[in-house]
Amino acid sequence: MRRRDALAWLGSAAAWTLPVRAQSPAIPVIGYLAPESPGPFDSRLKAFRQGLADAGYVEGRNVEIEYRWAEGRYDRLPALAADLASRQVAVLVASGGAPAALAAKAATKSITIIFEMGGDPVALGVVDSLSRPGGNLTGVSSLSVEVSRKRLEFMHDLRPAVSSFGVAVNPTSPTSGSQVRNLQTAAEALGVRLHVMNASTEGEFEAIFLAATREQAGGIVFTSDPYFAFRSTQLADLCFRYSMPAVTQSRDFPMAGGLMSYGGDFAQSHHRAGSYAGQVLNGEKPSNLPVQLVTKVELAINLKTATALSIAVPSSLISGADTVIE
Amino acid sequence: MAGKHLRFQGLFQKYFFVLFLAVVIPLATNGISEAWLGYRDQRTRLEQLLGVEARSAGAKIQGFVDGLTNQLGWLVQLPWTEEPDERRRIDSLRLLRQVPAIVSLTLLDGNGRERLYISRIGLNRNESRVNRSADVAVAGARSAGIWYSKVNYYRDSEPYMTIAMSGNRPSVGLVVAEVNLKLIWDVIAAIKFGQTGHAFVLDEQGRLVAHPDISLMLRGTDETTIAPFREILEAARRTGPDVATSRNAEGTDVAVAAAPVTGPDWTVVVEQPLSEAFKPIYAALWRTGWLLIAGAAFAGLLAYVLASRMTQPIHLLEKGTERIGAGQFSHRIDIGTGDELQRLAESFNAMAAGLAESQERQERIAKLKRFLAPQVAELVDRTGDDDVLEGRRTEVVTVFCDLRGFTAFSARATPEEVMYVLSEYYDALGRIITRYAATLTSFSGDGLMLLINAPVSVDEPALRAVDLAVDMQVSVQKLIVGWQERGYRIGFGMGLAMGPATVGRIGYESRFDYTAIGSVVNLAARLCASALDREILADATVAEAVRDRRHVQPVGMRLIKGYDKEFLVYRVAVAERPEAS
Repeated sequence: MRRRDALAWLGSAAAWTLPVRAQSPAIPVIGYLAPESPGPFDSRLKAFRQGLADAGYVEGRNVEIEYRWAEGRYDRLPALAADLASRQVAVLVASGGAPAALAAKAATKSITIIFEMGGDPVALGVVDSLSRPGGNLTGVSSLSVEVSRKRLEFMHDLRPAVSSFGVAVNPTSPTSGSQVRNLQTAAEALGVRLHVMNASTEGEFEAIFLAATREQAGGIVFTSDPYFAFRSTQLADLCFRYSMPAVTQSRDFPMAGGLMSYGGDFAQSHHRAGSYAGQVLNGEKPSNLPVQLVTKVELAINLKTATALSIAVPSSLISGADTVIE
Repeated sequence: MAGKHLRFQGLFQKYFFVLFLAVVIPLATNGISEAWLGYRDQRTRLEQLLGVEARSAGAKIQGFVDGLTNQLGWLVQLPWTEEPDERRRIDSLRLLRQVPAIVSLTLLDGNGRERLYISRIGLNRNESRVNRSADVAVAGARSAGIWYSKVNYYRDSEPYMTIAMSGNRPSVGLVVAEVNLKLIWDVIAAIKFGQTGHAFVLDEQGRLVAHPDISLMLRGTDETTIAPFREILEAARRTGPDVATSRNAEGTDVAVAAAPVTGPDWTVVVEQPLSEAFKPIYAALWRTGWLLIAGAAFAGLLAYVLASRMTQPIHLLEKGTERIGAGQFSHRIDIGTGDELQRLAESFNAMAAGLAESQERQERIAKLKRFLAPQVAELVDRTGDDDVLEGRRTEVVTVFCDLRGFTAFSARATPEEVMYVLSEYYDALGRIITRYAATLTSFSGDGLMLLINAPVSVDEPALRAVDLAVDMQVSVQKLIVGWQERGYRIGFGMGLAMGPATVGRIGYESRFDYTAIGSVVNLAARLCASALDREILADATVAEAVRDRRHVQPVGMRLIKGYDKEFLVYRVAVAERPEAS
């Protein structure tokens, strides 16, 4: 009887000490959840690490980062988020769009989540309020989703004579509905017709361009969506092959040979997400960190592509552009 | 001994405290006044510093606002026509690119109609010609030139403001710009001074417009967030241009100074924790405190050493005087301080030496007085040498006298009677001996031997001896009258002789006597022995010496015992006994 008591006591002591050791490691661990692969995230991670350094943390020195890459398969995000949550990381960073943020939110109620996305976190139900996020998450939102109508406007400015444009939508994106509604309203104001086309996998991209060509659309406006944003190279290649002018949210697109982009500055948003993660490591409560909106929305134009497409870019657009690739 | 010890302690304490205070009081006064002045200087410097920081921060924020209005000024310089103004559209787009804080621009013509609207987020509008004269911003700009809206918070978070501006004439129209004030953050976050000194901006209602902590800035309307800032603003307003103290959101006491931003009617407040702002002051105070303590310790040590050095000689003096007072005249007080105390010790030593000398003299006089007349003894002592007492040969008059029938009387009489008679007898003779300054060499029982002219020479020794003898005989005869009435059969006879004799001190150690040796002594003694009652017998030398001046008559040749020849003996006439004869 006594021996059994002692064993039970030893067992419970062991059970008690082990998680404690796992919970408070010498170096805090950040769980980093991303919907894509490390390649396209390289520039984002650089900004994120700069933000961490602002709060005094350097990866490998006083902080470790556990990465979970969904490799473009967004349905894997919940499982990856749950994995990170089970590892009891000090802070969970869900970057690269609303799907990652929502997956992280579903995975844990106790670990602080810092999100980085393009949509409106209140409308998406991620937080209750911008100034008082409440709960265990806060983060940064770029204005990419809100400005998708501006992309249509720029396309219209570029080709004022064209009356019909294609709109590429990822139906799996939580913001797709609101973006399409916004675009429809804008199209009415501008007096153009829209041809909405869905694509949620890389395999469907080609079909979009085929359809747009078939419909004689003056260009394709890509809605704000991480899936599109992280596939700028493929999209730019397709544009080149189909001689199709297009505008996306990510600056990577004109850099890769696409015509034009308009969207929130991802370097800024990831930088701030890193800074927030660092502040949480420093003991700040997420409820004390308001959701930040990125102020900078940037327009990038590739004039080489415009010339190849025989499009004369009006000086008003060039003068308003933040980046012009010649 | 305990009392003396206490007195010593008291003196030491007095000296110690006086010396200690003499050092500590000026030191403390100096230290405290310096600390106080330093505190005031530092405080003034701090106020100046904070004031400068406030003005500088104010200028930076003012610069941000003025930069916006300057840029907007470009858009209201050329008059509008009825045609769309493509040039102005491009200018506006360029402005939007140039000034990231501007979110949207609305250009109105002279009639208040909207000609152009461009935005970073919303769709642009061209030539909508909607009349917006009724807008507050338009009305404000028309009356004031430049109009600033109150700060509004987009979805209760991001601070925004509208700036409206009219040109210098109506035809150039107006521009209305929506400004995202979050971009002041770059300006406000760059304002840093000291270690944690920073600035923040409040609007006229005390809401946060800008703060280095962007989290606070995005909650600028939240009452609990901005309550401490309101308090700081109130404190800064109360004190005007001076530095105020208040408590910030973290509960830290802070020094604050404010500067206004004209136009939007904001206040820029700079804030520094008091602990940091007053750090140099506290450091200086601590420094002064430590210096004071070190100074006091040093003063204590100094006072202790000095007091010891001052009281030690005094203690030595005290001990020394005690010993001298107890008669140890050989004791010397050894003080080498080289000051008045040493002089005092030396004078004590001199005094001790004087006392020793004086005592020695007193002893000597006492000895001399035993056989010399007191005045002679004084004289000998005054001249300071007892050479006069050394043995020498000189001319002296020797006087012998004794009572007749005393031996028989003493055998019969009681000791009291014997002592009474002797007392009266010596009393009478002593006075006369003293008066004549005769030297008493010895006395035994009822007989005496006196010397005249030794050791001190006198004028006319024989004459003096004769007068002395007569006086003594007369005095004793008066006593004898009394004695005979009591039935004592006592007489008195005297003998005088003059001639050379060896005089000097004889004896051993302290038992010295002065005496004369020679035949003149024997002669005088024999004359005395042969003298009858009331008779004074003198030798020829004496008689010759006083001839014609005293009544001396020869009584014939007499054979004197011890001599083998006869001498001519003289009798000195004595006045008749008053009653007995």
